[in-house]
Amino acid sequence: MFEARLLNGSLWKKIIESIKDVVEDANWECSGSGISLQGMDSSHVALVSLHLKSDAFDPYRCDRNISLGLSSTNLSKILKCSSNDDSVIIRTSEASDNVSFIFESSNSEKVSQFDLKLMNIDSEHLGIPDMEYDSIVKMPSNEFQRICRDLSLLGESVQIACTKDGVQFTSSGSIGSGKISLRPNITAENLDDTVNIELNEAVLLTFALRYLNFFTKATSLAPRVILSFKTEHPLVVEYQIQDIGYLKFYLAPKIEDDDTKQTTTPD
Amino acid sequence: MAAGYDSAESNYTDDECSTQGRDELISNQTNILGEFYKNHREEEYNRGHNLELFPESPDVTFKESCIVGIDEAGRGPVLGPMVYGICYCPVSKTDTLASLGFADSKELKPSKRDTLMQIMIQQSGMIGRGVEVLSPNYISNCMLARDKINLNVISHNTAIRMIRRLLERGVNISLVLLDTVGDAKSYEKKLNKEFEGKFKIEVHIKADSKFPIVGAASICAKVVRDWCLDNWVFKENVNFTSKLGSGYTGDPNTKAWLSGNLDKVFGYPNIVRFGWSTCRKKLEKAYQVEWEDEEDNDNPKIESFFGKGKVAKSHPFFTERFLENPK
Repeated sequence: MFEARLLNGSLWKKIIESIKDVVEDANWECSGSGISLQGMDSSHVALVSLHLKSDAFDPYRCDRNISLGLSSTNLSKILKCSSNDDSVIIRTSEASDNVSFIFESSNSEKVSQFDLKLMNIDSEHLGIPDMEYDSIVKMPSNEFQRICRDLSLLGESVQIACTKDGVQFTSSGSIGSGKISLRPNITAENLDDTVNIELNEAVLLTFALRYLNFFTKATSLAPRVILSFKTEHPLVVEYQIQDIGYLKFYLAPKIEDDDTKQTTTPD
Repeated sequence: MAAGYDSAESNYTDDECSTQGRDELISNQTNILGEFYKNHREEEYNRGHNLELFPESPDVTFKESCIVGIDEAGRGPVLGPMVYGICYCPVSKTDTLASLGFADSKELKPSKRDTLMQIMIQQSGMIGRGVEVLSPNYISNCMLARDKINLNVISHNTAIRMIRRLLERGVNISLVLLDTVGDAKSYEKKLNKEFEGKFKIEVHIKADSKFPIVGAASICAKVVRDWCLDNWVFKENVNFTSKLGSGYTGDPNTKAWLSGNLDKVFGYPNIVRFGWSTCRKKLEKAYQVEWEDEEDNDNPKIESFFGKGKVAKSHPFFTERFLENPK
């Protein structure tokens, strides 16, 4: 038997909308500690890692670890049938090939139940080691979204440079180029508006904007985004979901061939 | 020129013209089109280019007001060029023209067309003529370009170009008659706008069978079009088997040629109009091109950075029933 009720059901909607462009089919792994999901996009360039603690749910009951294979597209369709202030109960049993989604209106007057058929998904699971990052940037999530969106007007990829002076996003394409620089700013009135840079070592990395624009769909989940950089390693784009979990996106850096390097570094 | 004009005064009987025509045809086999093609042999015969062939205008066409006919041959076929013909003569000679037997080229036998072509050459002092050969390659390029130009627009522009060419020479035009391409009304409007009412323009359905001067233009076009197909020099260094046929997709010879000469790698030579759906369908049988997705090439896989993790067990519903996904 597995059952988890989330009072703020709209959170589910936001989570699914944030990940569905990246992972199509994924296993939702339910255990005593909570619900997690890991999945890659179809070209295996980006990875999503989601965890929601069991504390987030009331009640939360998980008799035995269970893996629920679901399609993000279908999940999104079902969740769109819920109202924003509905609570959402997810229920299934070991014997069943269904997962039930039960939406209950806040005044308990309306209850809807949708059953989704489970899929058997062979997913590769990657072990993500803890590592020391060269540079960690914490900034307003909507600011990061804006930067990615604006720069994708110019080019397909963004070059991100973190130095002690700040972080610089550059993109160029056939019509021209764009450069956005952010200085560390810790004096903003609102703590959420600050730009905070922890720097062990300066980094210069290039990423595909297409994926970053997928990731920033999660902006509504958290006011802040944490970007962790390490040379020749994937970027981590992390959204803390209140105090109940996290959604992390990993994106492999682009390898620049010698031609592009020559044009980007002045002689 | 003047001599030719004079001889037009004498009326031909049907018999005279066919005998004389045939004789000329035999002795001047190459001359018929040689006049059109004399500067376009061999290497210049590169069918990728359009040809504009306008023999000198008869002097009389500068002095007297002229009637002009324009018609085309080979709009529909999948093979070979589309040819536009233009003929013009003084309005006063319209009756002479009719008595010479000029009519819709489609209703005349090829031998009769050649004869009439011959007469036209003999009558160079009275009838002016010209053709524009639009190569199949040019038509393919127009129809498949990013900004596509459809065949109607190509046709309209060609007619406009040909009229302008006569104007530049100083031909005294009073009336232009054309066979319609697309809607007759809007075509007429377009032409009138282009030439600002300097002379009368009439677009008719089946103009080639109504007006001898348009019939003459259609003969010019048809003869040149047929000649092009019969004497096609393939730029491609390949021996193509069997007859081309008329080039129309309904022609069994053309069908056989298309089926028999498809190269799986290189497709068809330039004689084919690639914009035609017949051609596109045939080319589906050739090897398809796979374009490598460049975007993901320089993006390494995320797995290359992380080790394998612990794979969660499948849902018991599947494991208990030994359900597995195919490898």
